[in-house]
Amino acid sequence: MPLDTSAYSLALLRVDGRRWNELRRIHAQIRTQAAADGSSYLEMGHTKVMCVVTGPSEPGPRRGTTGGAAAGASKAAAEVAVSVVVAGFSSVDRKKRGRGDKRNLELQSTISNALAASLHTHLFPHSVIQVSLHVLSQDGSLLAALINAATLACVDAGIPMTDYVVACTAGSTSTYAAGDESADPLLDLNHQEEQELPGLTVATLGETDRVAVLVCESRVQVGRLEGMLAVGVDGCKQVREILDRVVREKGKRMVLEGTVVKGEGLEDMDLD
Amino acid sequence: MPREAEPSLNERQFILQALQENLRLDGREFDQYRPLELTFGDQYGVADVTLGKTRVLAKASAEVTVPYVDRPLDGIFNIATELSPMASPAFEVGRPTETEVLISRLLEKTVRRSGALDTESLCLVAGQKVWSVRVDVHVLSHDGNLIDAACFAVVSALRHFRKPDTSMESGILTVYTPAEREPVALSWLHSPFCVTWSYFGDEGEIALLDATWREEQVRAGSCTISLNRHGEICQIAKLGGTPVEAVTLLQCTNTALTKVQEFSAFLDRKLAEDIKRRDKGGLMAELSAENDR
Repeated sequence: MPLDTSAYSLALLRVDGRRWNELRRIHAQIRTQAAADGSSYLEMGHTKVMCVVTGPSEPGPRRGTTGGAAAGASKAAAEVAVSVVVAGFSSVDRKKRGRGDKRNLELQSTISNALAASLHTHLFPHSVIQVSLHVLSQDGSLLAALINAATLACVDAGIPMTDYVVACTAGSTSTYAAGDESADPLLDLNHQEEQELPGLTVATLGETDRVAVLVCESRVQVGRLEGMLAVGVDGCKQVREILDRVVREKGKRMVLEGTVVKGEGLEDMDLD
Repeated sequence: MPREAEPSLNERQFILQALQENLRLDGREFDQYRPLELTFGDQYGVADVTLGKTRVLAKASAEVTVPYVDRPLDGIFNIATELSPMASPAFEVGRPTETEVLISRLLEKTVRRSGALDTESLCLVAGQKVWSVRVDVHVLSHDGNLIDAACFAVVSALRHFRKPDTSMESGILTVYTPAEREPVALSWLHSPFCVTWSYFGDEGEIALLDATWREEQVRAGSCTISLNRHGEICQIAKLGGTPVEAVTLLQCTNTALTKVQEFSAFLDRKLAEDIKRRDKGGLMAELSAENDR
């Protein structure tokens, strides 16, 4: 069903009632699986993903998934092996995807390369960091949600990293064909918008403007890129704030519960 | 699984040091392509592209098949990429490597999903008969920047390709041989080209176009931008790698646009030359009784 964008220009409200620069509700949890080294659960609107990180550990005899930048090539750094499982019930049409699905392989390799650039993999030679991602529900911005969940799980696993790798999507209000100059950029597309409007996924390194992942799969005028990218990068900063708050609150609770000892140099940590 | 020979630490250092001093191993400018060459085969739809030592052959072909059930009005369009061990010992037959998957995904997104070929025009009888156009990409020699070369080859092959003419009369479909009727070109909407940037340095501050195989092995990240000459982005893929300043990416896109316009003009010129070469002077020359003897 085509998305009716005619109402946008009247009230400047999107189909789900957001303004152009609003993110959907992000709800995140870390340390959801007791048995795992690191785990997280993330919702961006109705997109729900779960992540489990195992490692850094000794590589097993069998390598199942695709590796990233350091895939088997160099033993000097840990390999980040990512596997993405899209549950059959996650979207409206139950589509069976095989193991060798190219879209899935591309997702895995993107996440793996993005994480490998931020994690200090050189500290763990001859080892593997296994990141398993499970998609429970899809409503647009899938790659962004997967990257955010993987980052949180890596934080939980205590793997040293430069900064959070945070991602979100951005789009533009009119389709590529209309040479309409007044097109507004949009932040955080849902499934319906993703289908109809041009959009891109941006992942940045923490609060900087440095872009780790940029994926655009739709036709769009070159002039629109700047606006979309600016909104996307700005959205990433907001996402970073949210994820950082989740991590800090979990840390605070764990100190209060006595699960972990409060570290040194954290005297200013607010435990109220 | 065979692995690519890796550059030694010394080589790595040497390349990076040279780049810091604004030098490339082959003396090119940072935004300069290697000499691009394109030759068409005797058959329609065969394009042989060389970019320095990288060589890619693309062949387009068409046959009449039954359409997919969910898309009865659309023709079928496929791009098959094959990296054979001929190009590099690291490639294996049968099992697609990560590089191969990424290349075929990129070509798919650039050419197919951007709607460069009008698939509706390939329909002959709704729900029963459509043309299935297939492009086979063969990498004959690998010296870096496979994506740009492969994309150029695919677009050239499809632009050059002619499918047999058909007619429908009282429910009977006739496919004419080239001798009966001149084959017809595909209905082509726009020509997208890929431009790949490679980033070097800790912050990705050095950006190179058209990296060679050696440079690709040392690079910290890459970004492939697909555009057409009208300035429409068809696809951008920066799949991980070292983070790069957003402003740099925008500059890269603008430079890519000028490169794409050059490619586009080059391809148009080559196609025009090829048409001239094939044109034997029309019907008059063909019917003439004179000959060389």
